[in-house]
Amino acid sequence: MRNALALLIVIVLAGLMMAGVSQLPPPGSPDGAVHRHVAAHYIDGGTEAGGAPNLVTAVLLNYRALDTYGEVVVIFAALVAVLAVGLSGHSRGPRRQPDELPVSPVVDRIIRLLAPFIALFALFMILEGHVLPGGGFQGGVVLGALLILLSLVLGPRRIRRMLPTPALFWTRAIAPLVFALTAIAGLALAGWLFALPEPAWLRELILVGLELAIGIGAALALVGFYLSLEADHHD
Amino acid sequence: MSPNDVFDALILILLITCALAIARMKDLAAAVILFSVYSFALCLLWVHRGAPDVAMTEAAVGAGITAVLFFYTLARTGRREK
Repeated sequence: MRNALALLIVIVLAGLMMAGVSQLPPPGSPDGAVHRHVAAHYIDGGTEAGGAPNLVTAVLLNYRALDTYGEVVVIFAALVAVLAVGLSGHSRGPRRQPDELPVSPVVDRIIRLLAPFIALFALFMILEGHVLPGGGFQGGVVLGALLILLSLVLGPRRIRRMLPTPALFWTRAIAPLVFALTAIAGLALAGWLFALPEPAWLRELILVGLELAIGIGAALALVGFYLSLEADHHD
Repeated sequence: MSPNDVFDALILILLITCALAIARMKDLAAAVILFSVYSFALCLLWVHRGAPDVAMTEAAVGAGITAVLFFYTLARTGRREK
């Protein structure tokens, strides 16, 4: 009886949603309501006003900089939460020494061989994010993945030593800090939060700086998640 | 149906199949691998619909990092669903 009722509710809801979807304009149609308001304005002058040839970056870092600021703070908050919970030593999982886990020689050799190329690609994605698809977050995630791969091969201790503690303390917060600085600089130089000041080279410098901050912040957050999982094994 | 629509339809069928299989899977390691497959299929769909930025994020986060973190958690908890 309850199953029949659930099925009935699901069928009615699905029917309503399908009826709604069938009324939508076809995807990508220029007459659609979403394409006639702000989107049209973005596409017309977005690369000009946003300061970035890649329209996605112009929207993310300029028109919706406040949204992106919020996202960056969310990632930072997640890292803080994981560090607060993960390092407190509550978990009592099976004790193991990941440093001594054997890694297959094939995996080991391939990771060592590919590491410089992956690092170069990540840096390229971060620095060219305002011109080409990609950007700070994507490049940062690739960089974080590379550091996780390396900690599989070299052992987490070597990676921890690569990231010295006092510098790490501030660098983890680099993305929110740089975003706040940009917001205030925009307010001071051009009159509103996140405004990009006039000379073109300064705009580009600020965009690249933001992308770098997002990238480093994302990479450190991901490595932080991974290393705090590792850390539980040793306490 | 144009070849573009056929491609989209194939990817969507693959996505639905993967999602159902993940939900039914008792072996959690296999479920994580299927989750990666799901992410890569979705990534193809993003590229095909003209969103390379989203596709890059999907490939790096969905298929890469999430799988690593899930595997690590599995190594510490257990591979089979109770």
